[in-house]
Order: sequence, then C-alpha cells, then structure tokens
Amino acid sequence: MSDILVMRDLVGGYGDANVLQGVSMTAAKAEIVVIVGPNGAGKSTAMKAIFGLLKVRGGSITVDGTDITGWEPNRIVEAGVCYVPQVSNVFREMTVHENLEMGAFLRSGDLSAAYDRVYTLFPDLKERRKALAGNLSGGQRQMVAMGRALMLEPKLLLLDEPTAGLSPRYMEQIFQICRDVRDTGVTIVLVEQHAKQALAFADRGYVLASGANRHEGTGADLLADRDVADMFLGG
Amino acid sequence: MGALEIINFYLVPGIVIGSIYALGAVGITLVFAILRYAHLAHGDLATLGAFLALGAVTLGGVSPYVALPVAMVLTAAAAVMIDKAFYAYLRERPKIVTVMASLGVALMVRAVVQVVWGVDSETYTRGIVRPDVWFGIRIRDRELITILAMIGLVLALHVFLQQSKWGKAMRAMSDNPDLALLSGVDNKKVVMLTWIIVGGLCAAAGVFLGLNYELKAMMGWTMLLPMFAAAILGGVGRVEGAVLGGLIVGIAEEMSTLFLPTEYKAATAFAILLLMLLVRPTGLLKGKVL
Amino acid sequence: MEWIGLANYAVFMAIFICIYALLSLGLNIQWGFTGLFNAGIAGFFAVGAYTSAILTSPAVEGRIGGFDLPVPVGWIGAMLAAALIAWPIGKICLRFRSDYLAIATIGVAEIIRLVIKSEDWLTNSARGITDIPRPFGDLPYVYSQLAYLAIVAGVLLVAYLMVERQIAAPWGRMMRAIRDNEDAARAMGKDVPFRRLEAFIFGSALMGLGGALFAHFNRTITPEAIDPMIATFLVWIMLILGGSGNNRGAILGVAVVWIIWSMSEIVTDQLPHEYAVKAKYMRVFLIGLMLQLVLRFRPEGLLPEPQGTREEVSEKSK
Repeated sequence: MSDILVMRDLVGGYGDANVLQGVSMTAAKAEIVVIVGPNGAGKSTAMKAIFGLLKVRGGSITVDGTDITGWEPNRIVEAGVCYVPQVSNVFREMTVHENLEMGAFLRSGDLSAAYDRVYTLFPDLKERRKALAGNLSGGQRQMVAMGRALMLEPKLLLLDEPTAGLSPRYMEQIFQICRDVRDTGVTIVLVEQHAKQALAFADRGYVLASGANRHEGTGADLLADRDVADMFLGG
Repeated sequence: MGALEIINFYLVPGIVIGSIYALGAVGITLVFAILRYAHLAHGDLATLGAFLALGAVTLGGVSPYVALPVAMVLTAAAAVMIDKAFYAYLRERPKIVTVMASLGVALMVRAVVQVVWGVDSETYTRGIVRPDVWFGIRIRDRELITILAMIGLVLALHVFLQQSKWGKAMRAMSDNPDLALLSGVDNKKVVMLTWIIVGGLCAAAGVFLGLNYELKAMMGWTMLLPMFAAAILGGVGRVEGAVLGGLIVGIAEEMSTLFLPTEYKAATAFAILLLMLLVRPTGLLKGKVL
Repeated sequence: MEWIGLANYAVFMAIFICIYALLSLGLNIQWGFTGLFNAGIAGFFAVGAYTSAILTSPAVEGRIGGFDLPVPVGWIGAMLAAALIAWPIGKICLRFRSDYLAIATIGVAEIIRLVIKSEDWLTNSARGITDIPRPFGDLPYVYSQLAYLAIVAGVLLVAYLMVERQIAAPWGRMMRAIRDNEDAARAMGKDVPFRRLEAFIFGSALMGLGGALFAHFNRTITPEAIDPMIATFLVWIMLILGGSGNNRGAILGVAVVWIIWSMSEIVTDQLPHEYAVKAKYMRVFLIGLMLQLVLRFRPEGLLPEPQGTREEVSEKSK
C-alpha cells in the first residue's frame, strides 16, 4: 500500500464543539493533495488534527502504516510529518540558517546534505542565510518556513495556506517548489484559499464543507465539476 | 565636585551594584521570555545563593570566590526543584497563576533562610578593605572581580545561546514557542535548562551583593524591583539589554543620591520602570511585551 | 473568669477578620472579578491608615496636621488617597499583562514604606502617629470593643452589598467577560484598560478603608505595625483559599486563614524564646506552602465562583 496518509472518519475540534464531523482522505507517496472549501469548512482544522494539535474524538489517522491518532506533536515529527502553520511560522529573531537548524533539531550527524537540498530548492535563502527571518519579505518567510520543515526530510509535509497574502508571482513560485519537493518523493498535503489555482496545480483534491467531505477527485475533474464551480468559481 | 569624585563616589559604586543587578536581570529576562511570566521569587533565590555560599565559607573555610561556584550549582539545583515542585503543574493554567505561586515561593525561600541562618546581618570576611588607586580612580579588588565576573558569565551565556544546540532551542522557545514545539524541541528540557542557568545567575548576584555589602534575609527581595526595572529597561528577552539596563539602573541609583535622600534609591528603579512602561514598553533594545 | 478573656479575644479576632475581609473584598474585585495582580496590598492599606490618622488626630507640632476632623471624613479620605495612588499605577500598567502590575505594585508598596519610615513631617517616622480617635473609644473596654466590632461589621456589610450589587449588574458581567476573554471583549468595543482601571481603583480604595479601620482600632499607627510582605500575602491566601470570584468565599477565607494564623501564633508563643523566633518564620513558610497546595489541589477555593460566570479561564485550567 503506497498511501502515506490515511485519515478515516475523523471527528474532533477545539473545546467541546466538533468542527470535523467525519472527514476521510488519503495521500499517496509523492503526491500533492490540496484541501479546499469555503470558510469554516474545517480545512485547517483537518490539517491540525493530523498533527495532533486538537482533540480527536473519533476516527483514525495513520502515516505510512503507523497509527498516530492522539500522539503528541513531537512524536509525530519523529514519525516523519512536518507541519508549516499559516502564521508565525518562522523564528523571527533567528537567522535564516538558524531557522533551518531548528528544523533539523531532532536530527544529529552531518546535516550538510540537508542544507544543500534546501538551499538548492530555495536559492533566495542561500543568499540571505545570515539575515534575521523577521526582516524578510512575506514570500521569503514562507520559503524559510517550508525549508525549516524540509530539513527533517519528512515523508509527509503539511502546508497551511502557504500562499496566503502572497503576490501571484510568489504563489507560482511556491507551487513550483511544491512540485520540486514532491519530485524528491515527499507527499504534500496543503490547505488553500485560492481554490482554482490550487486545484489546477495539485494531483488530487478534497472539497470540504461543514466539516465533512463534499467532493474528491483529481484537480482537473474537480475544476470541471458544476457543484465545485458553483462553490468557488462564482458560477 | 570634580570628575574624580563623581567617578569614585557615584560611578564606580553604580557600576558595581549595576553589575549585580545585571546578573539578576539576565535571569529575569530569560524567565520572562522563555517561560513567559514574571518570577517574583528571583530576589529571594539570590538571597538563598548568597547564604549557601556563606555556608560553604563557614563550614569549608574557603574564600567566597571558591564558594561562588558551589553556591551557583546548589542554587541551580534548588531552582530546578522549586520549578518541579511548585511551577510545573501550573504550566497549563494562565501564567499569572504562576506569578502568584512565585510570590509564595519568595516567602518560603526567605523563611528557610531566616530559619537556617537567622535574621542578623552577616559578612563573608571581616575587616575593612582599602581600595587600590589607579590613576586616581579608587576601586577594591572585590569590586573589580564583581564587574569582571559579570562580564565573564554574561559572555559565556551569550556564546551558549548563540552557538550551542540547546542554547538555540532556548532562543527558539523564546521567539516562537509553538513553532519550537513543532520542530521537536522538548519543552521540559528547555524549562529545566533555563532554571539551571537562572539559578546559577541568581546565586552569583546574591554572592556579589553579599561580598560588596552584607548578607541579610531581605537582601534579595529589595533587589527585585531594580532587577525588574533593568530587565524591562533593556527589553524583555534581551540578554545584552538586561546588562545595559542593570548598569543604567545601578548608576542611576547612585547618582540619585546627589539629589535625593539615600533612602529613596529604590524609588529611582521604580521611576525608571514606570517611565519605560509609559514611553517605551519594549525597552531600549526592542524586547517583548507580555 | 476564663471565658470572659476568651470572649474578649473572640471579639478582638472578629474585628481583625472584618478588617481583613475588607482587604479581601478589595482584592476580589481586582483579582477575582478582573484578573489584576496586586502585590502591594499592604501599601494601599498603609496609605489608608496614615491618611485617616493625619486627618482625624489632634494637631501636633512638627508634622502636618493632625486636622482633628470627624472620623468618617478620615475614612473617606483614606479611600480617596488609596484610589489616588492606584490611579497612575493602573493607568500605566493596565495596558499590559498583569505581571507588570504585580511588579509595579510591589514597587509602590516599597516606596510607600520608605516614605512612612523617613518623612518626619508627614508620618512622624518611626514614632508613628498616636492619639487617633476611636469611635466609642471612651466607653468601658468591653463595650468599646463591641461597639467597634459593630462599626467594622457594618462597614463590611455595606461594602459587601455594594460589591455584590455591582457584580450582579451589567458592569460585573462585563468585567468577567474581559477577564475571561479579553480579545473578545475588546472586539465588542469595550474599553478594556479603562474598565480594569475602575476595578483597580475601587479595590484599592477598599484596601485603604481597611487600613483606616485598623488605625482607628489601634489608636496608633507606626511603620512596624504591619509587615508588608506578610500582610499582602495573607490577604492573597485568604482570597485564594476562600474562593476568588466569590465574595462570600473571600470573607470565609479571611476567617479560616486568620484563625489558623492567630492560633499558630499562640502555639509558637509557648515555645522557648530561641525557638519562638524561628517558629515565626516556620509559620510564614507554612502559609506559603498552603498557597501552593491550594493552587494545586483546590484552585477554585472553598466556595467556588458561581457556575456560569467562569468560562474561558476554567477551560484553560483543565
């Protein structure tokens, strides 16, 4: 079985309310899966649930065959999952290089190959590696955040709205980097507000509404779907 | 009044007491930034360190400078134990509850000192030390050592925070705790490490205060206000800011006696604290505001 | 005759409990209902005590006053003076998290202590202020004590009813909303720092009143009359043990802690002198430990805040 992520009938939320009311999804090895949906559909919540950041009351999550439901985030990191939050996702008062170093906190031994890999993916960062992350532009900060997550060489990379607030040029660049990362064998699950662009670029997509699955399929199929079009494309 | 008098009677004592404040303020700023609460037992932990060194001096017959590392290790251990016993289980509660617990710890630590060592003033060594004169500037050995030890300890801490893996983890925890946890940093280890460092610095502040003045059960508590003023003046979370803040508060306190009765030295620190909160709460070096 | 002594002692204790209950109510407004950390209770207490003393005692050479004014004027003056000191401190610190207020109130209490100790012209320094009039002080001892108890109990009752009324009013709901979810309250357009300032000033005024009642009860006030750290801390443990956010809890906590505190003093006073001094500090240690145990095992106190008023905070404390 080549599915890196399997989420089954997930129920959970913050406090007593269940934001997620039975969400299921899978992601295969080296696949980009995008989660879209209207505001409040539970997209980011579903992603946080994978990372153990909220109370899961039902269902299960497995990563590469290991059941990680209810694990502490630091153990999930060790299981090969990295998560890039939407906001405050860099150490602002640390240099770009130190941010990457923190990403590799759980690794020991020679990290030069990992640095090379990240700096090859993000040449901009190599130039600015001594700069404080807080002094970078929004797009560059997003790259630092992704680079930090990639330092652990995860099996599964979770990105929460990586293009929020970025210019179209940066959005395209981030998407391109996602493809490059995928091509190195990493599975990427991302939440996106820009549904149209995201579906066009992803391998597969899930449309959530009111905390449950609404549609799923390849990006192209979903873009062609009338209902999805009505939801997002102003149809 | 000539320049030399100003230097000898105000600037040198100001730098000495400022160095002591700096040692304490660095600890306060670390707790404020990493653990995210105001630690009100900080001064009394310094008192404990000073008296533990006195114990080593009287029992072991060693000089206070030999007793200093002993006291630092013991106070660090005490700080870790206090955290485990009284603060650790409050971590999920609003931080202000831990501030309250630390007020209780302040009282408890002081009570222990008062029970074990009594309430009379003590000194490490007896006799009057005459200052050496360098180009008209009068300074005693112990004053010079206080200043140098502060510089040495802060530099060592700086190198640790900038270069070592766990030092970076501490900075990361101060910078963005959620992301540090997501990166796999073990919060418990960072907390323990912070208390080891803070406990050691507290002891150093206490020992040097005892060395330059005298040992009293209230010595640390009265130092609390200037230490906090220094940490906020420098910018919460800024180690170099805490040093700068400590020196400024120390010198300002000594200089204030030019205009104010000596009893009101403590008011200087208070005025600095309020002024900073009023005009620039992030401090001189742009620190955090909780 | 033994029981008369006991009864006298009980009246004496009851007066102290009423005075501390005023402090505890004041702290409950600040901490229990608003979440403000005041670590300088003794300072506001002392300001109240000295203000009323200066206003009501007969004129004396060498210091300001006394103005020989009626006692109620002194009490109102005490409240105003405490409020006046609270105002700038609150104005500066309440924009930030309560940690800053804790530090600043420690500072203000320290400054007040210094002023009282060193300003001859104002407080007569170490010798203190004497001849403070006590209402019904001319009656025989027992009646005078009972009359004073009636007065402090009456003042406490009025304060209690006023605070209860305020807390039940929309004002109280708003304060709790601010305490439990500041961001939401701010988003609803509440002027959070201003509301907090109100609570801080109101609470401090009650502490000043407590100080005034203390001064008139003792007829004298000196810098040594209260140990600032212990007095402040006792009020804290009283409120936390009793149940912060609950006014009856605040008063119950005072009674329980004051009785434990006084009884333990009676026990340690029996010890030989060399141990008695140390025993005093052991008691302080135990009262500190008591706070830690309450925080750990019964953070809601003996009488918890009524259900439905506590939301976000209890969620966080799980």
